[in-house]
Amino acid sequence: MTAIAEAVDSGSLPGRVWMYSNYHCNLACSYCLTESAPGVTRRQLTSERMIDIGRDAADLGFTALGVTGGEPFLLPDMAHTLAQLGSILPTVGLTNGTLFTGRRLDAAQELAGSDVALQISLDSADPDVNDTARGPDNFAKVVAAIPALVERGVTVRIATTGEEPDPAAMSRLCALHRDLGVPDEDHVVRPIINRGRAADAGMGVVVTEQDLPAELTITADGAFWSPFGPTVVDGQLDTDLLLTRTTEPLRVPAQTLLGLLEGRPPGTASTLNIL
Amino acid sequence: MTAVPLLTAASAPLTARRYFGGGDPGPIVAALASVPELLEVTLPFLSTILGASALDARTKEIVIVRTSALQECSYCVAAHSAVALDTGLTVAEVRTLSGAGPASLPDADEAALLAWIEAVAGATGAVPDPVVLRLKSAYQDFEIVELTLLIGATMMLNRFCTALSLPTSAEVANRLAGVGLA
Repeated sequence: MTAIAEAVDSGSLPGRVWMYSNYHCNLACSYCLTESAPGVTRRQLTSERMIDIGRDAADLGFTALGVTGGEPFLLPDMAHTLAQLGSILPTVGLTNGTLFTGRRLDAAQELAGSDVALQISLDSADPDVNDTARGPDNFAKVVAAIPALVERGVTVRIATTGEEPDPAAMSRLCALHRDLGVPDEDHVVRPIINRGRAADAGMGVVVTEQDLPAELTITADGAFWSPFGPTVVDGQLDTDLLLTRTTEPLRVPAQTLLGLLEGRPPGTASTLNIL
Repeated sequence: MTAVPLLTAASAPLTARRYFGGGDPGPIVAALASVPELLEVTLPFLSTILGASALDARTKEIVIVRTSALQECSYCVAAHSAVALDTGLTVAEVRTLSGAGPASLPDADEAALLAWIEAVAGATGAVPDPVVLRLKSAYQDFEIVELTLLIGATMMLNRFCTALSLPTSAEVANRLAGVGLA
């Protein structure tokens, strides 16, 4: 058993390895951590590279994978890539859910019955509230995509990002996701993090690495402490949560992360619910 | 214009933060911090070679300033001219070592060392035998090993600092100007 596997097994190291498949996005959400938008530099991981990372992660003893962006489904063959990752370890793919029509919806069929969950962002049952943060027509596209995916056998989770959840509004949102076929256990609510575009707008919770679960995160720019690490402000990548520029072999950043965790005082592990 | 970002305490990666704990660590560390795993190995390497060792500090600063002058590294010449003055070299000695023309020191051993530096850092190819023999008459073998590695390490820093246009601090520039070395 590797030191990584022992640390994951004991709970001292989170088991999931995240990958930023790309940074570009068809949306430009007001609280986006990575200033993602249609025109930004892609900074992409190839499908082959992501699968290599997944295999290395499994070999080291990690227990789950995650893919985020940008919008991962802007990349061709993302459904197939996720299916392959899901055959290696349980995988969650974060998506804005606005692209699942036609060919992309058909391709998502490959995820049916796989160990892959798509986590789709939906912030409010009120279309206007949702679309203020996430862009015009976002709500309509998402509420169309979710049942279409569920009907095809794809596991869908819903992620709600917001500052101060209003109980009444949350109740309406939960009723909506149940209607869309997503049970309560697959609905996650997380705060806005004060990094990236949210920091520019003065939104969200200010965090340090102590607040963020130490989930090894691989990007085209290097390895980071958390998926909330490789954020972008004014077009520049934040480096404060950078671990290493070296990402291959995966044991290099994994051991660096483990070394930092072993040097952390007991009782200081993150309790912030951000996944 | 500096070619790469010089990281600060706020932007320094987790694995490089300890180098920023005492304030501004200088532009070499601030540049290297963008690749923290290289900083982790490069800084101890440089500290070992440039820091206290079997060679006396005066000899080491002669090597560093003269090598930097031959490599035309304005950052290293300035930074180590200040260190050389702190070490006890005179303004006149620093001026000859840091100048573009030939350097000279009256001590025979140090003159042999200057010839060695000239052959290693100011030229390419093999070092002429007379230069080798002259150095061996002045220094022990283990000292020659260290002197040569010091020249090489300084050349590496010279190219790093020059290529990336690392800035000389105002404090160093003012100090050197104050003694006529600017």
